[in-house]
Amino acid sequence: MESVDQIKTRVVGVDIREVKTTFALVDIRGEIIATDYFNTTDYPDVSDYVTALSEKIIMLVEENGGYDKVRSVGISAPSGNYMTGSIENAANMPWKGVVPLAAMLRDRLGLAVALANDAHVTALGEKAYGSAHGLKDFVVVSISHGGLGSCIFMDDKPHLGVDGFAGEVGHCCVEVNGRQCGCGRRGCLETYCSDKGLVKTVEELLAEGEPSALRDLKNISVQTVTYYCDQGDRVAIETFRRLGFMLGVGLANYASILNPEAIILTGDMMQAGKWLLKPMRKSFEEHVFHNIQGATRLLVSILKEGERDVLGASALAWDVKEYSLFK
Amino acid sequence: MEEYNLKTKVVGVDISTESTTYAIVDIRGNILAEDSFETSDYPDVNNFVTALSEKIVVLVEANGGYETIRSIGVSSPSASSVTGCLENAPNLPWKGVVPLAAMLRDRLGLAVGLANDAHISALGEYTFGSAHGMQNFVIISLGVGVGSCFFSAGHEHQGHHGFAGEFGHTCVVDGGRECGCGHQGCLESYVGAVGIVKTAKELMAESDKPTLMRDLQKLSPRTIAQCCDQGDEMAIEVYRRTGYMLGIGLANYASVIDPEAIILTGGISHAGKWIVDPAYESFESHVFGNLRGKVRILLSKLDNRERDVLGASALAWSVPEYSLFK
Repeated sequence: MESVDQIKTRVVGVDIREVKTTFALVDIRGEIIATDYFNTTDYPDVSDYVTALSEKIIMLVEENGGYDKVRSVGISAPSGNYMTGSIENAANMPWKGVVPLAAMLRDRLGLAVALANDAHVTALGEKAYGSAHGLKDFVVVSISHGGLGSCIFMDDKPHLGVDGFAGEVGHCCVEVNGRQCGCGRRGCLETYCSDKGLVKTVEELLAEGEPSALRDLKNISVQTVTYYCDQGDRVAIETFRRLGFMLGVGLANYASILNPEAIILTGDMMQAGKWLLKPMRKSFEEHVFHNIQGATRLLVSILKEGERDVLGASALAWDVKEYSLFK
Repeated sequence: MEEYNLKTKVVGVDISTESTTYAIVDIRGNILAEDSFETSDYPDVNNFVTALSEKIVVLVEANGGYETIRSIGVSSPSASSVTGCLENAPNLPWKGVVPLAAMLRDRLGLAVGLANDAHISALGEYTFGSAHGMQNFVIISLGVGVGSCFFSAGHEHQGHHGFAGEFGHTCVVDGGRECGCGHQGCLESYVGAVGIVKTAKELMAESDKPTLMRDLQKLSPRTIAQCCDQGDEMAIEVYRRTGYMLGIGLANYASVIDPEAIILTGGISHAGKWIVDPAYESFESHVFGNLRGKVRILLSKLDNRERDVLGASALAWSVPEYSLFK
C-alpha cells in the first residue's frame, strides 16, 4: 500500500564511557532487542572511533531486522553538550578539545543523531522507563566510577543551567577546609561520598586503631566493604555510616533549594543497601528544611546499572527530528 | 525499605458504550492482566462504580496486590479532564454530569485521572504507538462517529471548552446529507459507519449493475470491505467515494494545523487500501500546496482494544500519586 506511510519503530542508544562503549537497538517501549559493546580506549583517535562505532552499529542493526527500521540515534557521553552535539573538553576521555561527535556520526550513518551528557541521559532513562516515570520535578543522583553527579528535572524538562553545568552537587562544599578534592578545592561532597571517598574513610578509621577485617584487605571497594558490613565488621559499618551522614547533608541542602518530589539514587554505591541508606535518610531528615521534612521521596533506581544509560540514550533519540539520507 | 518501595504499575480503564475494559499495565506498557464486562449491565452509575471498583480490586489482588498500584486512568466518551466528570454523554446510560473520577477515587483510595476517549487514543499513540517522538500530529478515529484529537508542540489541544477536534462535524457538502447533530453535510454523514452504508444503498439504487452487496444479510463497513476484497466494483466505488470525502476533510484539517502525521484508527480504517488510497489521492489534490507530499498518513500500529487501555494507563501516570493506605 503506497499511500500509507510506515513509521520506524526502533532507535539506537549509545552509552559512551571512559572504558567501555555500549550500544543497543531499542524499541518504542524500551525493550532492548540487541546490544553489544567494545573498549572505548581501543580508539585513541576519534575518527577511528567514529568509524568503528558506525560499523558496529550497522552490523548489529543488519543482524536484527535491518537498517530501514531505525529512526534515529541517541548518545550519552561524559562532557556531552546537547546544544552543540559535541563532546567538549572531556577530562577523562582520550579525545581532546571539542569533538562534534553527533555531526560526525550523522555523516557516517545517514540518520539523525542526538547527543547529551551522561547525567542528563541517566535522568531521561529514569523518566522514560524507570523510577522517575510520571514525575515532573525530580533529581537523579549518580554515584559511580569515582564521581558524584546529578541531573535536575524541573517541570518535566531537564534543567541544564546557562552553560550546561547545572547539577554539580558533587562539588558542593559540605566540610569547610575538609578533604582535598580533585577539582582543586576542599571539602567537596564527592571527597566523602564517591568510591575514592569510601577508601579514604576506611583509611582514616583504620588509622584510629580499631581491629577490622578491612585491615588485611588489598581491594577496598563498595562491594568488599558491604560484604564486611554483613559480617558485622564495625569499621565497615562505621564507614558507610559516615558516608551516609555526609550524603544526607548534601542531599538535604539540594532538596531545600529545589524541593523535588523525589531524589533517585543510582550507581555502584547503591550496592551498599541499608548500610548506606539508613544513616543517609536519618541525616537527610535532620538537615532538610522543616517544611519538606518527610515529604521528599528518596528512592533507589529500579533500572539495572548496565541498561539505564542505553535506555536513556534511546529516549533521547526520539527527541530529534527524523532524518534519513535513504528516503 | 522505603528506598526500594516504588509503585511500578497503574490500572487503565476504557469505558465504551458496549463494554468496559480494565487492565494492569507497567511502566513500559506491558499489559499484565486484563478483563472486561458489559457497560450496559449497569444503568445506574452508582452500581457501575461499585462493580468497576470491585472488579479492579479482584484483578489487582490476583496479580501482585493492591499496594503495587500507583494510580488509575480512565477513558470515557464525553469525559472532561478539567472537571473529572462525564458530561451529558449522549450514548452512555448515565445522564447529566457524573463526577466519575471523584466517585472512583472514594471507592479505591487511589488517585484517578479521567479524560475523553479521543484524547486517550492520542495519548496511547503518543506514548506507545505510531506517534511516539512526534510533537505535532492528528489522530483520527473512524467508526460509528468520526472523532479526532491533535497534539500541538507535544501537548494535546483541548480548546477553550474542551471540545476541540470535532472533525466529524465539519461541513464538507453545503446542504448535504442530514447528520444526527442536526446539521447538514457533516463529514461524519459520509465517512462514518452510517454514511458508508448510505453511500452503498445510494449506489445500488442508482443502477441495476450486479454487486455482491445485494446478497449481504447485513450491510456494514466491514461486509462492504469484504466485497472489495473479492473484487466487487460497486463496493470498491463505495469506498472510493468515502475516501474522496475523507481526503477533503483531512486536507482541510492539515491545511489549518500543519501536522507531521495523521494517524488513522478505528474499525473503518481496517478497510485498508480501499479507503486509504482514494483518501490519499484526494488529500494530495486538496491540501495547501506547501504541505503537499509532506504530511504522513499512517495507519495505527496499535491493536484497537489495546490502544485505549494503554492510553488510559499513560494518563494514570500524569496524576499526582495519592493513597489512603500510606
